[in-house]
Amino acid sequence: MSETTPVTRKAKRPATTGPRGVRWLLDAGFKYWALAPALAILALLTLYPAVQLIRMSFSSVGYAGGHIAWSPVGLANFTQILGDATAMVAFRNTLVFVAITVACETLLGLALALAVSESRRLSGFYRTVLMLPVLIPPIGIGAMWLMMYDFNYGFIDKVLSALHLTPQPWLATTRLAFPSILVVDIWHWTSFLFLIILAGLESLPQDINEAAQIDGASHFQRLWHVTLPLLRPTITVAAMLRTIFAFKIFDEIYLLTNGGPGDSTQVITPYIQQVFFIQGRMGYAAALAVVTALLITIFVIVYQRVDAALSGQG
Amino acid sequence: MNQNHRTQAGPRFRRWGIALLLTAAVCGVASAQSQPPITILINTSPWLPSFKSLVSQYEKETGNKVNLNVVPFSAMIQKSLNAVSSKTSEYDILNLNEQWYSQFYSGGLVTPIKDIDPSYTLPKQVIEYAYADRWDPKVGASTKNGEVYGFPINGNIQLLFYRKDLFAKHNLQPPKTWADVEKDAKILNDPPNVYGFVTRTSPPNYNFQAWLHSYGGTIISLDQSTGTWSVNIDNAAAHQALDEWLKLTWSYSPPNYANMGQSDEISLMASGHLAMFIVASAAESNFTNPNTSSVVGKIGAAVTPGPTADARAPTSGIWVMGIPHNLPKAKQLAAAKFLEWAMTKPAELAYAKAGGVPVRQDVYEELAKDPKYGWWMQAVADSTPYIKAQVRIKETPQILSVIDRVLGQAVIKKMTADQALKQAATEIHQIMVKGGYKMAPLSSQ
Repeated sequence: MSETTPVTRKAKRPATTGPRGVRWLLDAGFKYWALAPALAILALLTLYPAVQLIRMSFSSVGYAGGHIAWSPVGLANFTQILGDATAMVAFRNTLVFVAITVACETLLGLALALAVSESRRLSGFYRTVLMLPVLIPPIGIGAMWLMMYDFNYGFIDKVLSALHLTPQPWLATTRLAFPSILVVDIWHWTSFLFLIILAGLESLPQDINEAAQIDGASHFQRLWHVTLPLLRPTITVAAMLRTIFAFKIFDEIYLLTNGGPGDSTQVITPYIQQVFFIQGRMGYAAALAVVTALLITIFVIVYQRVDAALSGQG
Repeated sequence: MNQNHRTQAGPRFRRWGIALLLTAAVCGVASAQSQPPITILINTSPWLPSFKSLVSQYEKETGNKVNLNVVPFSAMIQKSLNAVSSKTSEYDILNLNEQWYSQFYSGGLVTPIKDIDPSYTLPKQVIEYAYADRWDPKVGASTKNGEVYGFPINGNIQLLFYRKDLFAKHNLQPPKTWADVEKDAKILNDPPNVYGFVTRTSPPNYNFQAWLHSYGGTIISLDQSTGTWSVNIDNAAAHQALDEWLKLTWSYSPPNYANMGQSDEISLMASGHLAMFIVASAAESNFTNPNTSSVVGKIGAAVTPGPTADARAPTSGIWVMGIPHNLPKAKQLAAAKFLEWAMTKPAELAYAKAGGVPVRQDVYEELAKDPKYGWWMQAVADSTPYIKAQVRIKETPQILSVIDRVLGQAVIKKMTADQALKQAATEIHQIMVKGGYKMAPLSSQ
């Protein structure tokens, strides 16, 4: 038998000598000291701009006499949103866009990750190819698809013509423009979900799966009862991140349709940019940005609640 | 005797005259010389290479250094606003679009030229494009009585570009009226090989204004005697204009007419798939380069049509260059010296020959005779008496975004023309009331 030394949960360090206040600063207060620089940077880079944005959303801000002039307007900017037909369409389109793209990208990303993780040959090749879209800047994606969708010279309509099918004005009808944007976004961002879910999949402990296999569980049963529950936190985080990004879509829509035809593809971020910079209505643009941030926050809370409920903590 | 006197005095006066001219020229160059380096914020565009050439010539002539900060069009306004909002602007000259400049003039974000160089007056040959270079703070708009705040640098106005070869083949003359346009478009329309006519629908406001102004309409107008503004976009002229514009949009364009941007129109024309369209004059450079155009030498240009040949209304879409308010005096003066030099005839001639769109009437008239440039410069020279301005008040971008939205809805038939114009009038009236303008009631009220 070997002797063991009892270990207390909190090992006591020798107390620093000196006055009580100094002792506290050097001992118990050290964690605050250590955190202070990070908190200061966080406050400077995050809190200050956020507070300024909120302040701006309750103000009328404009240029006068070579300077930016602020004057408080209370809730006027927020009440104005309700009467702004473009803003309402933009919020509605954004919510539809987020719901469809995140759902499709998550399902496709999951399916691709499961397929690649089980692929023994050419796994590296698949990973590289599937990763490519997320490496291309959104502006490049927009330009590429703009050319492909072009009615007169685009690849897609050339293929349709070759197959004796009617070419379509993909970006110029209210029926097709929004679905065409969804296709581009799903093509672009599925690889992001794929990468995160694949990383999660490969870090799962294999022994549980093997035990289930020995117990006679089928492939589908193992997927449904073992892999997916273990993968749930990863999927939740990936979908949550993607939701945040999807709310902020700008480049692709700006290049492909600029919100048209009519306002059929108008989403909120390009509209905020237009209101802020082109129209010079900074206070109103800030109010739109605050509402957008609130919507994203609601989505994040919903994700957390759903995840907690599914894991039995809710 | 008199004759003798003249013959003796003539050479002497000529010598004095030449000496004076040389002195003036040397002083002119000297005043532009030894200036600190300046930086110009400018966007990528078809006329950027010609502007670079202008800058090179200035550097060669004066020895002064000019840096160009070139950004995409979409980033221009953000960068410009950031520059004028900081303690000291990082740029000494800003290139301002006709649809934005009012924000900069009205907010005091660029400096009036008289505050920088009080002795300078704009040469009479410089076209002021219905006073886009001026701002009158009393009425909050660009008017004849305003001070010069910016130098016009790109004299873009709308022109009708058409396929000379197709018109000749069908024995047609360039259209002078909208009825001519419709008649010719019908004859030349042969989709998908050639489309008779396209309008710009993404965004539509600038294109539509050629129709609106030609019918005698305006979006808003100011009665200078009473200082009262009126919103006119729902009147009979505007209705006629929109009906005509929509008819042409729907009848002779490709099926993607509802999302037709300027680059789409230019591509159609340059690839030989379009018979005619209305676009800013700077587009001409797209049709003369064999690397980008399959119709080199086959394109003609004319004054934009109207309801009658006398009622034509090319709308200006110019760029002006302004000097930020937040610069040291020496930098402001250096910037002004460059712009003053750029307004001279030799500089403008060189700029035009490098592919730029000049702003001097004498340059257009001189080059109109030149076979290389005359094909479009003659059309610009002929257009000058007809030029109409866009809306030029602080709220211009907001007003134009309303026009873009309702016209877009009318194009996709989500609104009728009547509904679109009524909606626009109501919203624009609200914007102007909120902006503090003295407003006449809406005609429907």
